[in-house]
Amino acid sequence: MNPSIERRRFLKQLGVSAGAAPFLSGLPGFGSLMAGDAKGPKKRLIVMFSPNGTIPEEFWPETAEGKYEFKRILKPLEPYKNRVAVLKGLSNKIGGDGDRHMRGMSCLLTGKELFPGNIQGGSDSPAGWASGISIDQELKNFFQANDATRTRFGSLEFGVAVPNRADPWTRMSYAGPNQPVAPIDDPKKMMERLYGRMEDKENLVSLVDDVQKDIEKVSARLGSEDRQLLNEHLNLVRELEKELSQQDENKELAHPMPEIDPKVELVNDNTPRISRIQMDLMVNALANDMTRIATLQYMRSVGQARMNWLGVEEGHHGLSHEPDNNADAKEKLTKINEWFAGELAYLTKRLSETPEPGADGSMLDYTTIVWLNELGKGNSHTLDNIPFVLIGGEKATGFKMGRQIEFPKGTPHNRLLLSIAQSMGHDIQSFGTDMFCTDGALNLA
Amino acid sequence: MNLRLAISVLLFVAGLLPRLGGAIDLENHPGKAIYQKQCLECHGKNGEGTDDADVDPLVGKRSLESLTGRIERTMPEDREDECVGEDAKQVAEYIYHAFYSPEAQLRGKTVLPDVTRLTAEQMQNSVTDLIGYFRDASYPPENEKPGLKGYYALNNKKKAGKSDHKTERFERVDPNIRFDFGTGIPKTPEGIDESLDQFNISWKGSIFIRETGTYEFTIRTRNGAKLFVNELDDKEEPTIDAWVAPNNEVREESGKIFLLGGRRYFVRLDFFKYQEEKALIELLWKRPHGSREVVPSSVLGQDWARRTFVSSTTFPADDRSYGYERGSTVSRVWLDAVTDIAFDAADHVVAHLNELARTKDDDPKREEKLRNFAAEFTAHAFRRPLRKGEKEAYVDPHFAKAKTSEEAIRRVVLHAITSPRFIYPATAFEYPDDPWAKASALSLAIWDSIPDKKLWNATAKGQLNKSGQLEKEAWRMQWDQRARHKVAGFFDHWLELSRSNDIAKDSELFPQFSEQMMSDLRMSLELFLDDIVWSENSDYRQLLLADSLFLNERLGKIYGKPEIKGGFQKVSMPKEGRTGVITHPFLLTAFAYHNNTSPIHRGVFLTRNIVGMTLRPPPEAIEFKDNEFPPNLTMREKVTELTRAKACMACHSMINPLGFSLEHYDAIGRWRTKEQNKPINDDGVLKTDSGDSLNIKGPRDVAKYAADSHAAHEAFVRQLFHHTVKQPLLAYGSNKADELENQFRKNGYNIRSLLVKMAVAATEPNTPKS
Repeated sequence: MNPSIERRRFLKQLGVSAGAAPFLSGLPGFGSLMAGDAKGPKKRLIVMFSPNGTIPEEFWPETAEGKYEFKRILKPLEPYKNRVAVLKGLSNKIGGDGDRHMRGMSCLLTGKELFPGNIQGGSDSPAGWASGISIDQELKNFFQANDATRTRFGSLEFGVAVPNRADPWTRMSYAGPNQPVAPIDDPKKMMERLYGRMEDKENLVSLVDDVQKDIEKVSARLGSEDRQLLNEHLNLVRELEKELSQQDENKELAHPMPEIDPKVELVNDNTPRISRIQMDLMVNALANDMTRIATLQYMRSVGQARMNWLGVEEGHHGLSHEPDNNADAKEKLTKINEWFAGELAYLTKRLSETPEPGADGSMLDYTTIVWLNELGKGNSHTLDNIPFVLIGGEKATGFKMGRQIEFPKGTPHNRLLLSIAQSMGHDIQSFGTDMFCTDGALNLA
Repeated sequence: MNLRLAISVLLFVAGLLPRLGGAIDLENHPGKAIYQKQCLECHGKNGEGTDDADVDPLVGKRSLESLTGRIERTMPEDREDECVGEDAKQVAEYIYHAFYSPEAQLRGKTVLPDVTRLTAEQMQNSVTDLIGYFRDASYPPENEKPGLKGYYALNNKKKAGKSDHKTERFERVDPNIRFDFGTGIPKTPEGIDESLDQFNISWKGSIFIRETGTYEFTIRTRNGAKLFVNELDDKEEPTIDAWVAPNNEVREESGKIFLLGGRRYFVRLDFFKYQEEKALIELLWKRPHGSREVVPSSVLGQDWARRTFVSSTTFPADDRSYGYERGSTVSRVWLDAVTDIAFDAADHVVAHLNELARTKDDDPKREEKLRNFAAEFTAHAFRRPLRKGEKEAYVDPHFAKAKTSEEAIRRVVLHAITSPRFIYPATAFEYPDDPWAKASALSLAIWDSIPDKKLWNATAKGQLNKSGQLEKEAWRMQWDQRARHKVAGFFDHWLELSRSNDIAKDSELFPQFSEQMMSDLRMSLELFLDDIVWSENSDYRQLLLADSLFLNERLGKIYGKPEIKGGFQKVSMPKEGRTGVITHPFLLTAFAYHNNTSPIHRGVFLTRNIVGMTLRPPPEAIEFKDNEFPPNLTMREKVTELTRAKACMACHSMINPLGFSLEHYDAIGRWRTKEQNKPINDDGVLKTDSGDSLNIKGPRDVAKYAADSHAAHEAFVRQLFHHTVKQPLLAYGSNKADELENQFRKNGYNIRSLLVKMAVAATEPNTPKS
């Protein structure tokens, strides 16, 4: 899709175009924010993805003798320990075409097989896109169908360092069979989507000033008849200036636009900065009720991020193939996963510090975060024991946190997707491939 | 109302007609008393009209004889007998010399060009070329075979990760991308191992875009494919991403892109087949006025076009109330569009800054180069070198205030593009003989854009002052496709092509009619026009007289040439009396009812656009109601009946015979010999401008008349000038119309030569002193 055609026009985005509704009423979620608390608490879902499996020894908490102690990887989440539930024993059971990275990624939120296709992975038969909708999009549709839960965007898909290519390794959200949803990994584009091109407003204000001076200068040399057209032009510019200055007086958003500079070059080494900006934008969008569903995708399955900021120079995926006895690789992979947990901790912190608009408590009380991965372990490519972590949202879901829940080995992850759907009020009995849902939703209460 | 504009709608009469000099005593003219008694009530003291009477000002281009005849026949309204014979002659002479004729209008006045802004088309082109100025131009190689270059690679890859497979490569030019390989492989040159059954192909080259608008491309495939249009880096987001192919099923994926006409764009289509049973790939498009079709080879070439900045900003339609587009009004929507395009351009410049400013991130002279670029950019926006103090006003403050050089450049671009010196070209120049003003006028006239490198350099070297140099530049510039695009815009206007947008036909009577048919017909008409205009002779008369049509296989079946196979070819059709645009099925279809011909629509079109006469709006609007006539009447009989009244015949004596001359062509322009089982009658008597009666039979007589008609030439020259220069012709000398028309005639009615003369004329406007 050609980006320039899809881009909405600049002035309309600023809300200053002639005939546009007043600035604020054109803004997201303004209406639903007001009407929000009519029907029970708000329920929100964030799905965060990081790739290439985990290091089990450093991930799974110590649970012997009723303990619940975080090891290195989850350590950054220590302050929120009693709000974190670690789910052990879940498997992505989806078989069929595509290698395990592909199925790991594209069946993770869809719980459904890939179509046969032309994309060859490292093993198995070639495959195409997922054959079903993903849980985030399913819930989006569910929320958008109801006045009380409808928001401006329905869902927002954030990315961090996602390479610019579309294939089953880079997409986890699907609007339907064969309909992958691309995450937005440029904070500038996300900012534009959320708030319009506000960072250009300053330029526009100074421009309007320059143009007025220019027109006056040029007009002075013209005859009166010719000057008329330029005078009309000048009046229009003045009108625009007036609207711009009026806008400044209106700042009634529940949470004002974040004061961040979203312009950051999309290169590997800027990943930590991009990550934080994206999370800030996400929290702000949720606080302003522009959406209640958000995904945050780090890199992609088989991603080769080089985390120089951790002192890791090798590509992530390459490292994840190293055998268990490579201590150096293991150390680096632990660091990498620790870093992801640290980012998650930042997101958790931001939500826990933000009061829930129109209700008691913080936003974290009403927001369930799911952190997941496409593999259990990188070097074995197993789809068993995938590290699923739930955080927060207790006031909305009734889930009991502060524990590790051990499910029988090989419990299909479709059942978790089902639990999430039901906790959001979407009473479905099956999601994805039916045969993996016969035992119903997981009991997380 | 602006008086200069009022005069600009005047229709001119040129050299051949007798000119009675200024020796006439108007004060004591016998016609004056008659005028005051019989005409003044409606037409006002000086023919300006009165509010009550709702008549147009008495100004025009008819000859005195013609004016006399008209008054005799039609005036005063409803009392036509009261002003005839000698009275009509006298009053006509008075009116003609007192205020009707062009000379009378001009008495004591100098018409100056208006200060206007860039039109929408000029704005888009100028901003695009302003940025393009800083890129290397690319020229298509001459006589290249149409089509894209395909880079083929065959292999026997069966398993991922195995590197022991064999690959063989070859290249060839493919006229279209339309391949159903089935379970096989592409046809290979000799010596290639045909057991290699997996393959990928990358097609690269350029696509020529004739018309400005949104193009929808479609990839139809069973396999993986990506399309890039105007994107030179395959890491950019593709126009269409169809890389993942589920189930080996045929699927279609589309992407839309807005493109400016008269330009070539880089295009690349990547395709691969991997372990799937079958392979199929087609590249289709839908042009702004077309229906979906395989991208024709005629628009594909193997050169790699440079990147072109295109903003998809939509501008409001320009004022057309003077019969041609002019930048004579501003509005808030327009201002918003100007702001949008400026921001788009600023984004693009900043995104490609190193390329445009010819620097690198680690260039020690980067800052200096960026400042120079900023100054140059502003100069080209103003279409002349910067004057003293301008760098200090348009460049330096932005570098002083902005935090980064990129931000400074962004503001410089915004400032330059929204500056009145860019938007109102005339305001950038202080004296009329400024060679930079001439270069600006020349490039606006030919391209609707800014001067290119060659014109800029010639101007800087003072070459434009040399005699004949402007004309030489104009001829050079005419070869650029942008010039052709602009001329195509004239034909769109002249032939009212936009009418076809909402045409529908009775599907029982005309099952052949379809969107596809209209799309083909439009292409056929464009090919016809291009064939004549861009030929060596470029003979205007051939537009009316040529007996050929361009038909493809689909049209051949409808228009009686079933033997035609494949794409368009030129076919001579003398037996049907086909004669130029007059009988082109596109226009015959557009000017017709859904179930029958419409001699009135066709007649009005011929009268105004082809024969070059003006028509008043009908005194009362009468609807044509087909079911109110006895069913056995022919269309000709119905129209004759409907327009019988004397008030109608003032104009319909012209309209009807012209319309009837086309009765041999049905509502989709097919030849017919009968209607209602009665033979077609296409005879008629035409009252010409000079008052003569001319017997005509069929459209060829009309074409011959128009091809030789002074009024038709005059109208063509005037309309083409207005389209080209977008200013009143009178603002370029009171006899510029005569001069251009005389040159036109002398040069064998060569349109290209006329265009060059007009472009040169555009550089010589009247000045307050002249």
